[in-house]
Amino acid sequence: MRRYEMISIFRPGLGEDAVSAIVENTRKIIEDAQGTVISVARWGMKKLAYPIKKEKQGLYYFYEYVASPTAVGEIERKFRIDDGVLKYLTVKIADDISAEELEAAISDSEKRNAAFLRDESAEISEAAPRRDTVAHDDEVAEEGTVSE
Amino acid sequence: MQGKQPKKLFTRKKVCRFCTDKDLTINYKDAKTLAGFVSERGKIIPRRIIGTCASHQRQLSEAVKRARHIALLPYAGNPQE
Repeated sequence: MRRYEMISIFRPGLGEDAVSAIVENTRKIIEDAQGTVISVARWGMKKLAYPIKKEKQGLYYFYEYVASPTAVGEIERKFRIDDGVLKYLTVKIADDISAEELEAAISDSEKRNAAFLRDESAEISEAAPRRDTVAHDDEVAEEGTVSE
Repeated sequence: MQGKQPKKLFTRKKVCRFCTDKDLTINYKDAKTLAGFVSERGKIIPRRIIGTCASHQRQLSEAVKRARHIALLPYAGNPQE
């Protein structure tokens, strides 16, 4: 049983029940394969960095779970078929996980997700002022002159 | 081939930000930190400019590519118009 993190992006126009149906289906696939869901976090609507399938915003969901590789294949297959899912990304975190780590992860996940969401909302209101210095170095260095 | 520029000006002593500051982790979900290592156009900044060590630069590069895949960072940003 491997530990995975997954992000899926749903179309903004999709209804709430359609979204929760897909999420529930994902849970069911994991449970059926004797896996465990550590956490499911809804990051909410975000502006996409580039349009995906003509959509400018997407609904982000973040899952952490423990499952077998075949279960992951099944989840991704369902995502690929469904039009409502714009993108998904599955990342393997650990090859195996002990029972204590699992319980610790489940109780930690609420804290972690809360902290992450808090940072996210703070970040949206800020600009990115560092970019000017960084871009200057980048442009100047490309010309081959001394940069400082 | 111009070897006219003295080498020392490029090889300043720069320490890797991630090696010195243990709290700073490379996470593909953290677009805010990653954006500091990406140019205005969205390109990954070379290691000799920023001064990261090789292994952290590899992790950074992989994280940026994952973040681009889930649209947290752009593949190609527009310069200010």
